[in-house]
Amino acid sequence: MDIRLSGITKVFEPDIVALEDIYLSVDSGEFLYLVGTTGSGKTTLLRLISREYLPTRGQITVGDRNLRKLRSSELPYYRREVGVVFQDFKLLPNLTVFENVAFVLEAMGIPPKLVESRSNEVIDQVGLWRRRFLKPPQLSGGEQQRVAIARAMANSPAVFLADEPTGNLDLRTSEEIMRLLLSINASGTTVIVATHDQYLVDAYRQRLVELHNGRLKRDERRGRYFVDGEL
Amino acid sequence: MASFRYAFRDTFRLLFRHWGLSLLTLLTAASVLYILGFASLFAMNMRYMISRIEGALVVQAYMKRGETAEQALELVRSSPLVLSVRAISPEEALERLRAKLGNQAQAVTLLGENPLPWSLEIQVQRAEHITPLVRDLMVLPSIEEVLYAGKLVERLATISRASSAVSGIILMLTLLISTLVIFNTIRIAIYSRKEEIEVMLLIGATSTYISLPFVIQGMLLGAGGAILAIFGLWSTYSSAIEAIRSTLAFVDIIDNRRILAQFYVFLFAAGATTGWMCSWLAVHRFTSQSMRSR
Repeated sequence: MDIRLSGITKVFEPDIVALEDIYLSVDSGEFLYLVGTTGSGKTTLLRLISREYLPTRGQITVGDRNLRKLRSSELPYYRREVGVVFQDFKLLPNLTVFENVAFVLEAMGIPPKLVESRSNEVIDQVGLWRRRFLKPPQLSGGEQQRVAIARAMANSPAVFLADEPTGNLDLRTSEEIMRLLLSINASGTTVIVATHDQYLVDAYRQRLVELHNGRLKRDERRGRYFVDGEL
Repeated sequence: MASFRYAFRDTFRLLFRHWGLSLLTLLTAASVLYILGFASLFAMNMRYMISRIEGALVVQAYMKRGETAEQALELVRSSPLVLSVRAISPEEALERLRAKLGNQAQAVTLLGENPLPWSLEIQVQRAEHITPLVRDLMVLPSIEEVLYAGKLVERLATISRASSAVSGIILMLTLLISTLVIFNTIRIAIYSRKEEIEVMLLIGATSTYISLPFVIQGMLLGAGGAILAIFGLWSTYSSAIEAIRSTLAFVDIIDNRRILAQFYVFLFAAGATTGWMCSWLAVHRFTSQSMRSR
């Protein structure tokens, strides 16, 4: 599913400009790194795409949906097509790994047998099969991150957004997670990863978009470079 | 179908995972519904006692000599305030007089020709209806005299109006308090799962899917509270009936099983409906706020 941002500006009250005049196109099945320093607007951009935020100005279209025109009754169905890995994981501490993954599918009204088989499948994919009955507080940071990834990929979304998926993780775990994200992308899912881990960006070269103070600073795409508004 | 299955499972998870809060809601619902039920029973009994007295009130309208009761009867029958009316002929009135006099009935023969006029015995629905009826009757040329318990009727009408107003206010207040208490207790339950609900909304759960377990929980707690309140009321009321019968035998109170059963069914339905409505409102408000994009 392709993503188009045209002239996106996001201003928070009272007068904090988080993003300013962003034009960005992400093709279906593309992998994109969103980089930039803390406060550059990466998380805001992801939240605009997941429709947690509405832009102050501009239009966002995901597939054939104009997010500004999306009715609240259509929002859940849109969000099912967008898997999000949150910076703080947002796992439910009272539920086991299995339940955390399963409840996404249950919310979609999928029958219990299918929920069970699909949840087990993704838990196995992220390498947590033996830990599926543990609760998040019993897991390490990297394992919790993998549960969050498993939950986001459970319903095979068309778009996958990951906000700092390797933040505070050791190099080995970060690489495992990157490989997982690349495998998700390999199945045709559009993946956007917000990160400031330069090592991973260099090691797994993909399209790179850099934000600086809420503005698009660099868009490195298949060898072409867009720097500070000029090609 | 699967969604309903998950909703029921989540309802029981909600009830037992937050059992302290569930118990608190149940007891709160039971207490407020008990107060509501008690206020309703009090109001019903007040109304019942007054209506019994009102039912016994009879207006007697006497025709002028030589006049028949037809014109007055027509007027009285067309009035919506009237419960029943009966025309008493002079012959019937004489028979009644004879019966009243008993072994002195022979004295009636001294009267010669029957001097008693036609009369009407009228029963009204409520005491306050008597005064306007009497006013209407008095203007008829065929009416000689209208007899009724004037002061008693006026006092009874005042008491009746006051009791209706007071019981109405008590009922409204208890209903409002019940709704607020149940609404707030369920809102606390929802806020205790705030994080979970927010995550559910972010991953694409519909507000119906999120609301359903809370709504079922609210309904169950409301209904459960109503059952406890009914048990409480039933035992209190049974003891009250016993006590009143043994000490104040002349006081009429409701002890008709059918009426009481209907009242308890109504209270149960009120509990379940209040629980359902309050939880729906609380969760709907919460999900609407959470779904609003910033």
